[in-house]
Amino acid sequence: MIGYLIQRLMTGFVTLFGVALIVFLIMRVIPGDAAVMLSGAGSGVVSEAELQQVRHRLGIDRSLPVQFADWTSHVAVLDFGTSLRTGSPVIEDIARRFPYTLQIVVLAMVIAIGVGVPAGVLSSWFAGTWADRTLQTITIIGLAAPSFWVGLMMIIGLVYFFNWSAPLFWEPFWQSPLQSMSQLIWPALAVGLRQLALIARMTRSIMREVLNEDYIRTARAKGLSEGRVVFRHALWNGALPIVTLIGFEIAALFGGLIITETVFSVPGLGQYVVQSILDRDYPAAQGIVLILATIVVLGNLGVDLLYGMLDPRIRVQGARA
Amino acid sequence: MSANGMNKSFPIDRRAVLKAGASGVAAAAMLPSASWAQTQSPKSGGTLLLSNGGDPPTLDMHQSATYLTEFVGSPCYSTLLRIDPTDINKLVPDLAEKYETAPDGKTITFHLRKGVEFHNGMPVTADDVVFSLDRIRKPPSGIVSPRKGLLGNVKMVEAKDATTVLIHLNAPQADFPFNVANPYNVIVPRKVVEPLDASGQGMKRTVMGSGPFKLSRAIDGQIYEFARNDKYFGQKAYLDKIQMFPIKGEVERASALKSGRIHGCFFFANEAVLEGLRATPNIVASRRPTPTFINLIPNVRVKPFDDIRVREALSLAIDRSAFIKTVGPLAGAFYHSTGLLLPGSPYNLGMEEIKKFAGFDTIPDGGGNIEANRKRAMELLEQAGVPKGFKIVLLARSDIPAFRDSSINLAAQLKTVGLDASVDIRDAGGFYAAESGGQFQCLAHSVAVSGSLPDQILGEGYTSFGGRNYGGWKDDAIDAAFRAQSAELEPEKRKQLIKDFQTMFLKTFYQINLAWVGYATAYSKSVKGWHELPDLYANMQMDRVWLDT
Amino acid sequence: MTETAAAAGPLDAYAGFTPAIAPPKPPRSRRILHLARTQPLGAISTAILLIVILAAIFAPYISPFDPTVGDPAALYKPPSDTYWLGTDAFGRDILSRLIYGARISLVIGFGASILGVVVGTIIGTTSGYLGGWLDSIAQRLMDAMLAFPMLLLALAMAAVLGSSVRNVIIALAMPIVPRAARIARASTLVLKTTTFIEASRAIGCGSLRIIAVHILPNTFAPLLVIMTAYLGLAIVQEAALDYLGAGIQEPQPSWGLMMSGSATSLALTAPWIVLFPGLAISIVVLASNLLGDAIRDVLDPKLQRNL
Repeated sequence: MIGYLIQRLMTGFVTLFGVALIVFLIMRVIPGDAAVMLSGAGSGVVSEAELQQVRHRLGIDRSLPVQFADWTSHVAVLDFGTSLRTGSPVIEDIARRFPYTLQIVVLAMVIAIGVGVPAGVLSSWFAGTWADRTLQTITIIGLAAPSFWVGLMMIIGLVYFFNWSAPLFWEPFWQSPLQSMSQLIWPALAVGLRQLALIARMTRSIMREVLNEDYIRTARAKGLSEGRVVFRHALWNGALPIVTLIGFEIAALFGGLIITETVFSVPGLGQYVVQSILDRDYPAAQGIVLILATIVVLGNLGVDLLYGMLDPRIRVQGARA
Repeated sequence: MSANGMNKSFPIDRRAVLKAGASGVAAAAMLPSASWAQTQSPKSGGTLLLSNGGDPPTLDMHQSATYLTEFVGSPCYSTLLRIDPTDINKLVPDLAEKYETAPDGKTITFHLRKGVEFHNGMPVTADDVVFSLDRIRKPPSGIVSPRKGLLGNVKMVEAKDATTVLIHLNAPQADFPFNVANPYNVIVPRKVVEPLDASGQGMKRTVMGSGPFKLSRAIDGQIYEFARNDKYFGQKAYLDKIQMFPIKGEVERASALKSGRIHGCFFFANEAVLEGLRATPNIVASRRPTPTFINLIPNVRVKPFDDIRVREALSLAIDRSAFIKTVGPLAGAFYHSTGLLLPGSPYNLGMEEIKKFAGFDTIPDGGGNIEANRKRAMELLEQAGVPKGFKIVLLARSDIPAFRDSSINLAAQLKTVGLDASVDIRDAGGFYAAESGGQFQCLAHSVAVSGSLPDQILGEGYTSFGGRNYGGWKDDAIDAAFRAQSAELEPEKRKQLIKDFQTMFLKTFYQINLAWVGYATAYSKSVKGWHELPDLYANMQMDRVWLDT
Repeated sequence: MTETAAAAGPLDAYAGFTPAIAPPKPPRSRRILHLARTQPLGAISTAILLIVILAAIFAPYISPFDPTVGDPAALYKPPSDTYWLGTDAFGRDILSRLIYGARISLVIGFGASILGVVVGTIIGTTSGYLGGWLDSIAQRLMDAMLAFPMLLLALAMAAVLGSSVRNVIIALAMPIVPRAARIARASTLVLKTTTFIEASRAIGCGSLRIIAVHILPNTFAPLLVIMTAYLGLAIVQEAALDYLGAGIQEPQPSWGLMMSGSATSLALTAPWIVLFPGLAISIVVLASNLLGDAIRDVLDPKLQRNL
């Protein structure tokens, strides 16, 4: 088990190094470098000599390997540098923005699981009826609609019908939890719709399968109540793939938030990384991508470990691999 | 008139400056003007809630050219002279309580107020003024100064003593005091800023001025908060605090205003959004032309745009009325000028004159015939050897409607003369890279100038050396004509020279003016004491603003 | 299932299928003919997609107006007799733009998903079959790309390449490559140990031949399924890129482009401008998802479990 863990952590580390290399290279080949962005901003023609001075000040006139080595050696001690746009340390910017993103993710997952699993169970229970079909239709539409479009439509509806307006100041959770929750519920809904649909559909198909298994028939034959059969036996046994899906969807949610935060102007990581790429803010963009990638890698690892705990066969096989 | 000058009271207006300069008379003044009439007596206290259009990319006023920075900086800073909050054509004292122009018009002496302090308690000295103006006109390595052209005529700035600053000019310049009064050209403390510049940081995250408010909190993406400066040298601000929230979307800004969550926002472009605000009781929403114009800029470094016939054909192909009708509501480009200057400027050529230049007769009320123009455009293109279906790509940036939507409309218009026009929409970085590298055919550029005087607009927008010469043309005659009008102190003569300059320029089609943009403001009726000037940047210090609650 | 379990186990749930351990099957044509009867949803989706494809092909004949030239006298008009779906901020007919937009959106959707899946499959099967250090490098590279948020990778690539249809296809194919590669590799690993591959090797077939003749055809089913899934995803991502300002060029319409720029400022006063393109995207994505499900059910009923 320990050996397996170490091996997985090692590969994860190599993966992250690859991510670092890719994001570094991409940021450097995007036309319009940081110097152009810092001195441009609609102010007129800037001479190449001036740009060169700015590049020198930023240290981006050095050769790429030198810059990469410099950056990675700092990242190794968790120093992500200073954002070119905000002027504050990237790690501070991230620390301030991450709670919003995390909160949306948690909120979205709570909604997705809280609604998705019961909906899936109900759907399987009433399989073939109109209720099932309605749920199936709703969920498949939830899968198809682009999340930013859902967000836009949501904003239009909220403003039009409820005279809603986007919060001016997004309250941090620890200062006023209730207000913070009420502010972030809409972006969470917009981004979580897809996850809700996925989970509902997954739950339904798994339940359908599980409910046909012999041991469920046995349980029913034993005279257990239908609720007990469904929730104690069927759902518990079907939990594994659902948990797996949820694990992966959390990682996917972080990705999906990139655009939803922009639509709702939530000052989270997603908006920050988009802005950083558009502004050629190298340290910020590289730092966040690396952190998002770390979340994905750790998320995968976590899912695998959880998988192993729920289903011991896999752990043994995995350890052998 | 005495030889050594006569004293003039502030506010001085532009015409008075011209006259004063012409006769070599010193202009000096005392006391800030309280000329803006107040029917109600102002109340002190309260927090003004505003919205900005996003986060400022930097807090360094000298290095920035965006209103995002200026709106955050203005309340915190002072300039030598200040634009009269009620009249864009007048100046009132700020840090300088008076100034004199030498008889030859080439030296200006500014007398600073005594006992003025920066927010950190350090005194504002003549040396700080020298440092600030030099930082703008000759920025240290790694610092970029978009407005160095405004001070391009300065030979030297020197501190005569702790409160006297001498500015030596290369040539007399009637508009010069207005260039000093540009709201971006703020005075910063040498002791604080010099080390920051040396470290490469600049004033990116530092605001240190002597203005009516202090920046008390700045959280990127969230809030910019200002507290009243109780040691302000002028009349203290009425407001206790200002909170400014960066909101990118206009719809979101408007809905915040409608629902009463903010008191005002001084930047709206989209007319549909503004209409919604106009219909809301208790909100004052209006639009006025601001010194921003949209030009079609052909890149004269690439074929076939080096050929004047092709450029003329482009001008002829565009129906300016249709452009204004379509792009107006999207980008605020509702206005047209009868010259190169701000709509309504006395220096413009006038309708009869402007109509003579190819394509300009299609401005509203110009009475031009677009069909005939387009026929002529096709003839010119044929003469120039440009084949039918010639591919022409307009470069545009995605984040500003004035660029993107202008280009979309232009592409459709250029198709009518047989050009296969499309728009290459890039993000700001990609756009700058292509633009500054000269890798484009044509672009529709929204040019926001800080200031509406001839030297400011013509100098920045229409000279070879000006900051907005994106098309890369070079024309000594035009530059000379610009300098001639700039140095002319006799008002009537200057007016003629300005007209001559415009006639000369309009014939070249180096830049093809399409429309003028008016940015709108909207604020709650409880906001008092703020006057809207035909300039996006002026009067944003907020010291005379109060809340009637 | 040894290495596969750890490497691709959870992922296959995510991608919506388990690698097929499928020996060569009898001709499928007959089973596909049954599709319409046994898979009504699949048939409807196919019909929807066909209609959209036909509309795209015959756009010049069926669209009522020129999609690029607007009428300055009819700026943002609501749906009416003349303009069935209304007009946009430039007075352009939204229906015509939707019809023409189908061209670009479909070309990008199919282009990116096919390109991504093909490249990914080649990388996945080759590295899976050959194994060794080549496989390790490819694996880590694919892992790195997988750890990259999908939209960010596309956004950055679009910024690098610039905004032509071809470049957007490449940018959107990038994030698909590692996902396809993973699945192809997993299938290959399973197939590699089967007797008929070992037999081929024994009779002296070259690696290339084995991959091309025996392995690729057997990874076809799962890859077709994910291709349909990524078809929809690519269309959505293209719209997202446009929204963020890094998409394709005006004035040729794409559905995403129709929802970006000033359209969002008009969302309150002229909601039809953003409503219809979003609906179009949703319908096509829905159809391609359903079609994917149907194909999966027909080609491999064992996969039915997920989604």
